[in-house]
Amino acid sequence: MAADAEAIIAGLGGADNIIEVEPCITRLRTEVHDASKVNQAALKAAGAHGVMAAGNVVQVVVGPEADTIASDIEDIIG
Amino acid sequence: MTTVLAPVAGAAIGLSAVPDPVFSQAMVGPGTAIDPRREPVEALAPIDGTIVKLHPHAYVVVGDDGRGVLVHLGIDTVQLKGEGFRLLAAEGDRVRAGQPVVAWDPAVVEAGGRSPVCPVVALDAVRDAVGGIAEGSVNAGDTLFEWS
Repeated sequence: MAADAEAIIAGLGGADNIIEVEPCITRLRTEVHDASKVNQAALKAAGAHGVMAAGNVVQVVVGPEADTIASDIEDIIG
Repeated sequence: MTTVLAPVAGAAIGLSAVPDPVFSQAMVGPGTAIDPRREPVEALAPIDGTIVKLHPHAYVVVGDDGRGVLVHLGIDTVQLKGEGFRLLAAEGDRVRAGQPVVAWDPAVVEAGGRSPVCPVVALDAVRDAVGGIAEGSVNAGDTLFEWS
């Protein structure tokens, strides 16, 4: 199941909350302004296998499509 | 049945021993991990197929049946941005199981403060689909597990 870029942005608290999205081979490493706006249940509903949050760094595990999803997210949030 | 080969020599330690929850909790699939010998090596393709993802520190080979196997060379090694890794194949290449894909040195990764442990994962497989998992010492190219 491919995760949905729009839904992941929403789950991370919206485009304005996202500082950076960096893909690794299995996950998106994201940095957000306000971690309290991150909705882990929404991210899982968007296709994430898991979510790990430490401070303002939120890792969204999406599987090997991480590169594609990260570029989709970057296209959307500009 | 897909026979997955050990990409590197070392000790098969199981995914639960990997210091990264993505692997230890099998979030991307079941498999095992190899604690590699600390010597410069060429990491091998685990199955016949096409290299669909190739990073210096990790790669995915997908077989003709659509099954993908991920090999991750060390933990948090994305942060090295390719330093210490040399690509021996290209994304999109067809490879045979046992063909070299990336040259690297686990000792250098460890000296940099990172775990050199290599997860080998049957992507999106159900847990019960993976069996015959090797334990203990393995040589590169040995059968690591079977994906039914």
